[in-house]
Amino acid sequence: MADERSDLLQGTLELLILKTLSLEPMHGWGISQRIQQMSRDVFRVNQGSLYPALQRMKGKGWIRSEWRTTESNRRARYYALTSAGRKRLAGERAEWERTAKAVYGILEWRGATG
Amino acid sequence: MSLLSQARERLRALVSRSREERDLAEELRFHIEMETEANLRRGMGREEARRRALIALGGIERTKEEVREARSLGLLEDLLYDVRYATRRLVREPAFSVPVIATLALGLGANFAMFTFLDSIFLRPPAGVEEPGQVRRPWTEIQFRSGAQFWPGYSYPQYAAIQSVVGDRVHTALYLYPRDTRFGPAGNDLQVRVSWASASYFPLLRVRPEIGRLYTHEEDRLGAGANVAVASQAFWRRQFDGDPAALGREVVLAGRPYVLIGVVAAGFSGVDIDATDLWVPLASQPGWGATPWWRNHNVNGFQILLRPFVAMEDHTLEERIAAALRTPEALVRPADTANAVRLGSIIRAQGPGKRQQEVKIATRLAGVTIIVLIIACANVVNLLLARAVRRRREVAVRLAMGISRARLTRLLLTETALLALLSAAAAVLAAAWGGALLRGWLLPDVKWAASPLHWRIVGLAMIAGMGAGLLAGLLPAMQGTKTELTGALKAGGVDGHARRSRVRATLVVVQAALSMVLLVGAGLFVRSLTNIRELRIGYDVPQIIFGAVAFDMRDSIRDARLPQALTEVAERLRHAPGVERVALARMAPTRGFSSVPFYPDVDTTRIPKPFATYNLVSPDFFAATGLRLLRGTNFLASTGGGMPPAVIVNEAMARAQWPGMDAVGRCLRFEPNGQCYGVIGIVETALFDRLIEEPRPQFYLPLENPPPQAGRWFSSLIVRAQPRARGVASAELQRALREAFPGGRPSLMTMEQALEPEYRPWRLGATLFTAFGVLALIVAALGIYSTVAYTVAQRTHEFGVRIALGARHRDILREVIGSMLRTTAIGVAAGVGLAIAGGKFVAALLYGIKPTDPGVMVGVALALFLIAAGAALGPAWRAARVDPVTALRTE
Repeated sequence: MADERSDLLQGTLELLILKTLSLEPMHGWGISQRIQQMSRDVFRVNQGSLYPALQRMKGKGWIRSEWRTTESNRRARYYALTSAGRKRLAGERAEWERTAKAVYGILEWRGATG
Repeated sequence: MSLLSQARERLRALVSRSREERDLAEELRFHIEMETEANLRRGMGREEARRRALIALGGIERTKEEVREARSLGLLEDLLYDVRYATRRLVREPAFSVPVIATLALGLGANFAMFTFLDSIFLRPPAGVEEPGQVRRPWTEIQFRSGAQFWPGYSYPQYAAIQSVVGDRVHTALYLYPRDTRFGPAGNDLQVRVSWASASYFPLLRVRPEIGRLYTHEEDRLGAGANVAVASQAFWRRQFDGDPAALGREVVLAGRPYVLIGVVAAGFSGVDIDATDLWVPLASQPGWGATPWWRNHNVNGFQILLRPFVAMEDHTLEERIAAALRTPEALVRPADTANAVRLGSIIRAQGPGKRQQEVKIATRLAGVTIIVLIIACANVVNLLLARAVRRRREVAVRLAMGISRARLTRLLLTETALLALLSAAAAVLAAAWGGALLRGWLLPDVKWAASPLHWRIVGLAMIAGMGAGLLAGLLPAMQGTKTELTGALKAGGVDGHARRSRVRATLVVVQAALSMVLLVGAGLFVRSLTNIRELRIGYDVPQIIFGAVAFDMRDSIRDARLPQALTEVAERLRHAPGVERVALARMAPTRGFSSVPFYPDVDTTRIPKPFATYNLVSPDFFAATGLRLLRGTNFLASTGGGMPPAVIVNEAMARAQWPGMDAVGRCLRFEPNGQCYGVIGIVETALFDRLIEEPRPQFYLPLENPPPQAGRWFSSLIVRAQPRARGVASAELQRALREAFPGGRPSLMTMEQALEPEYRPWRLGATLFTAFGVLALIVAALGIYSTVAYTVAQRTHEFGVRIALGARHRDILREVIGSMLRTTAIGVAAGVGLAIAGGKFVAALLYGIKPTDPGVMVGVALALFLIAAGAALGPAWRAARVDPVTALRTE
């Protein structure tokens, strides 16, 4: 079961976190669940690397955090995008699209003569 | 904007480190709970659900560590965290940190104190002088009775000759070493240090006035000098509270009025180790006698300073000065024509002159302090090693929890650096205190111009402290992080490496050997001191007080009355409380001498005349000083002018002049074929002026009816106090002199004080070597103790087993102590070798004992063995008392 899922590519975790948080502020566990869910269970977030990543992004000023109460009335640290984070998401997204297009182009290559 | 927010975020993290930690813990707890609940919903059991959640996160502590690493993007934060962590550890382990800091502080402090002392004498140029490297002092080789020696003193005619020869290329200045001079009106006892200096002195040194002005060449014209004075800033602040209105005020120096015209810039207080308070023009110096001092070769204590303003080889300058000194007007004695001249630095101690014995001792002690430092470092390495081993388990646990090795090394290094920093700071304090102490011990008469501490010392102390600490800490830190996880965790903290205990044993050997060297040194110096103290010098030193009276200015009428006045004082004192005897003499013994040509009644072509000095004494002189009359009789008490011409000689004189004959009854004449002064007695040979000297021929002439060639003047009172009543007698003497000479200053000195500078080097050698030796011994004993204690702790298990198997307590005791004694024995053997090799460096400073003295060697070796056994006893006792059951259970 676990074998069918993929670990996240290095560097894509931050992009996915940014995307997740652009929808709504979320706590750490929620982010991991949302990514798994949005990727239709293909991506399994390594929870051990989630929190360091969040910490790094906070350090870079892309996200901020605050303590809030969840629906089930528990205290949790929620993360939200800053304006710098939104800009970063746009940039990362464009970069990703460019890369994806290029990779796709290579995979679809049939030769110059064909 | 983003930069600013980043900075803010980091700052916030920095300030609220503990809140961050709490938040992180709570966040992760929340995460685990949520994941556990999700797992429960998937149908797992509670235990399993929680276990899975923890696995998915990859461990709470590990995640925390990674978040911390992600958080600490800045080095500063890392450092702050490490420092806090290290501080906590050091505070929590005082049994480790206190000895380390104390040993390093003592080791370094001793070195810096010594360096400070040597620095202020040898290395540091006088403050406030511009480009001091260009200033030179000329030294001339002079034949003294003790041999040829370079000397920095000149007479004015010599200076004038030098100036006229080299003045076209070299600035020249003349000054007199600062002297204690009475300050203020008569009756005032305040002494200030006054230096007579030519007007060229300040421009040569490029010293400028802070306020007011300096004196000019016009004011320093010989024969017409102005009575003006320039103050040092320190003196101005001390005496006038730094009041600018002090300028123009009158200051009275030795009874002569001067006008204060300026204060020199801060920092400058002369060019010698003694601080100068006031400078006055050379030409304002009062003359005495018929010849003005600037034409008198006998007034020759002036120092010359030179600063070439045209590029010039030292060698050329030396030759020109030598030539100048050979000109007829500069020549003091015909024999001096071949005298060599050598240029020295502005720092007098760097010159070619003879060094004081105290300074020689200081240079030897510098070697000693370095040995102390090596011992201290060995000790610190030892302590750190022991601790690194104790920490293996902790390190292993941290590594297992996921801390990176680089991070761990950094943490351990920070700890060592902190330790080193604390030690260095403690060392600076120790140096400041020890430096002042050394100054007081070694050169107590100097009024220091420079403060003992200097930024160079502080900097050096810091660098050396950090260096020593880091070096000592690096090895254990590297070893610590190399820990293999499973081994360390399994071993339960037991040090399995035999290699490491060999390292520790070697350190003990080194410490024992070096302690041996220092203690042998201490033993030798102490024995020297006892030998010196036991030296019979003739006088009953503890009971004797010298008295005299000093006047600001000469007064021929008063001078003529002086002998009579002193005789009356002596007469009155004879019955004063505490006084046993009172004598009169031209000079107090050991304080000076007179000489006069004499003609003995022997064939001087066969028995050459010795160089003999004499003193003019009253008949009670011998009883008062304790000099024993060996043969013959004393001078008669006053007979009212009818004293027959007589002389008393000392034994050395009798042996030298009348070898193999009876000197009593022989004749001394003071002009060829003149009146015979019969030798009526022989006294023991007393100390002349040095503790160690060849017996000096001396003779004594009576105050009454001395030969006219000797003159009749005398100026000293010698009081013999009753035993343990020296204080009372001194007070009586002081009072009597005050009453008899209202305008003068009584000057009193106990003979002990007079001889103190003679004993001082010997006492110093003994005191300082002993102090450092004991210091080294304490440090070494600490090392031995910690090594044995550590070994015993490591072998608790083994001892437990052996006791369980029937080993007796004293077997274990014997084994533990025996192994330490074997290690010490190697150290002692090495130490004996080193001590013999190093002996030649101190041989010249010893008296009556050879550096290889077997008694001292054996004594010190025994002491070391005793100390080693003593240090090992406690831990060995613990080893023998190991309870087998407990020892085996702790595993």
